[in-house]
Amino acid sequence: MSNEILCLMDFARYQRWLDRAAGHPTCFMVLGKQGDVVWGEGRAQAAEIGRTIAATGDAAEGVHRIAWGDSQMVLYKPLVMTGVGQMGWSAILVDSLDDKSAPPSLDHLVEAFDDLSIGIADEYRQKSELRSMTEELGSRYEELHLVYSVDRHVQAQTRKHDGVFHDLLHSAAEHLNADVVAFVRPSKDICQYATNLSKEIHNLDLVLVEMRGDLFRFIQASRDSLVINEAADPRRAYIFTDMPYKILACPMHVDGRVDSIVVLINHMHKKDFSNSDRNLTEILANQLSSLSNMHLLLEGMREFNQQLAMTLIEAVEAKDPYTRGHSDRVHHLSMEIGRAMGLPEDELEDLHWGSLLHDVGKIGIPDAVLCKPSRLSKDEYTFIMVHPERSYEILRHVKHLEKAVLGARHHQEMYDGKGYPHGLKGNNIPLHGRIIAVADTYDSITSSRAYRAGRSHEVAMKEIARVAGSQLDPAIVEVFQNIAAAEPEWLKRFQIRRDAA
Amino acid sequence: MKRILIVDDEAHITLVLKMHLERAGYAIETANNGKAGLEAVTRQAPDALITDIQMPLMTGRELCLAIGQALPARTFPILVMTSRTDREEREWTAAIPLLEFLEKPVSMRSVLSRLEKHLGSGVVAGATP
Repeated sequence: MSNEILCLMDFARYQRWLDRAAGHPTCFMVLGKQGDVVWGEGRAQAAEIGRTIAATGDAAEGVHRIAWGDSQMVLYKPLVMTGVGQMGWSAILVDSLDDKSAPPSLDHLVEAFDDLSIGIADEYRQKSELRSMTEELGSRYEELHLVYSVDRHVQAQTRKHDGVFHDLLHSAAEHLNADVVAFVRPSKDICQYATNLSKEIHNLDLVLVEMRGDLFRFIQASRDSLVINEAADPRRAYIFTDMPYKILACPMHVDGRVDSIVVLINHMHKKDFSNSDRNLTEILANQLSSLSNMHLLLEGMREFNQQLAMTLIEAVEAKDPYTRGHSDRVHHLSMEIGRAMGLPEDELEDLHWGSLLHDVGKIGIPDAVLCKPSRLSKDEYTFIMVHPERSYEILRHVKHLEKAVLGARHHQEMYDGKGYPHGLKGNNIPLHGRIIAVADTYDSITSSRAYRAGRSHEVAMKEIARVAGSQLDPAIVEVFQNIAAAEPEWLKRFQIRRDAA
Repeated sequence: MKRILIVDDEAHITLVLKMHLERAGYAIETANNGKAGLEAVTRQAPDALITDIQMPLMTGRELCLAIGQALPARTFPILVMTSRTDREEREWTAAIPLLEFLEKPVSMRSVLSRLEKHLGSGVVAGATP
């Protein structure tokens, strides 16, 4: 233990106490365990007295004496803290003559010195207890701070799946003042990282490869956190050979195996990784690992949902081979429009499902009507007209699709109010309904039907421009025209016919 | 030695901050509400102010605004400690220069790095190693 706490203590009042007891100024010193002078530095012989006591002093309890020169002596006492041991010495230099002089007698002075030394030891103990408590509290704050900040990132970004890891790692890199922070989970092919460089790292790619390879295998074998600060650490022969960085890596165990690691990398010029860094990184590893699990589950659920939806769509499209791919195309075009309009993430999610499932209601239309190559009778047309409402009825029980369903229900409304099922007008038609209507119109014209072949992109755009304001929302048509003018890749993918210019 | 004023009514936070900052070589003054904090600031401007928001007598917000009135040319930074529930309060701080947030629970690392950023690392450690 260093003299840190001794140095923080104020000995002036002990000095005053002693001076009062002696009746004159005394030569009082506080010394570190090695005899270094903590209080009384100005005293002429303090350093020498310190050396002498450290070398020959009696560490047994109580006040001891050393003759000093011809007419003086040193009284000293070890300062002992229960449970910790000796942390230093207190000492006074007195005239031997004091022995005979009275009052105050030397005994009196020795008693005062003894009491005072006990006082110093007590204060030291209190100070050191307070220090370890505040240190403990400080490191708890540190952990809480980290956990809260992880939580904040997760809450802010539950919808954006990819961003959250990077943002988290980045804030961890800043908080832990590390050049690189990485989360490595080879079994799922995950290696996410963020940098906060104090100096360029020229071979970052190589570093990342090492993390996934040798470093991960090393931790997998040792199953424990790894700290390498020294340039000459022998373990460097196995890991990061020839890469002069400070490394801190903490494992996360799943079913008794190392499943992932969190790695911090620092340039050699930075401070060593400390125990506190290690504790925090272990917490971070835990958090990231559960977050990663959650994401994989979420991904799995998303995939499952998507597959279920596709199954439903295939059931509809199986009824009419001519509508094959229609839902997918309308979905694609709707999302293009939605993104171009700058819709927020959660609305895009609703538009995603609404546009994908907009025609699910067609499942209730008799095949004879749906696939009839000739003109429909009025009764037959009624079947067609109820399909958006059918979509709604089928999907409304799915809580997650509550909002998405509105787009499906109202995709056949017209801007002038002459559409179905509710005859809504203008902006009373839900926005997603108006978006899907534009996409739906485009695809109906460009794709082949039972009764006609698909027409060209140019014809479709002309028709859409013609019905803007009557059937379709002119603002959305404008957005769509802008997208279409930029020769989007879907023209090729959907094999849309083109007219020669 | 750089002087830091800590204003918070929660003694444990003040204590932990004080201990850690003293170890890092700063001189610490404390006040347990905004009013006492304002008195301390007007008596002698610190090199940095760390304040809580929710406090009796005078809140952190009132303190910051009062300092803005009393010392329009203030040059020392203010670090405001906020918890989640204070987050809506962030709007009023937009107009106050040299003000930063410390998310509660306050991390000693981040306090030290912020102080270092503002005051430079020219802090002489009070203790010998």
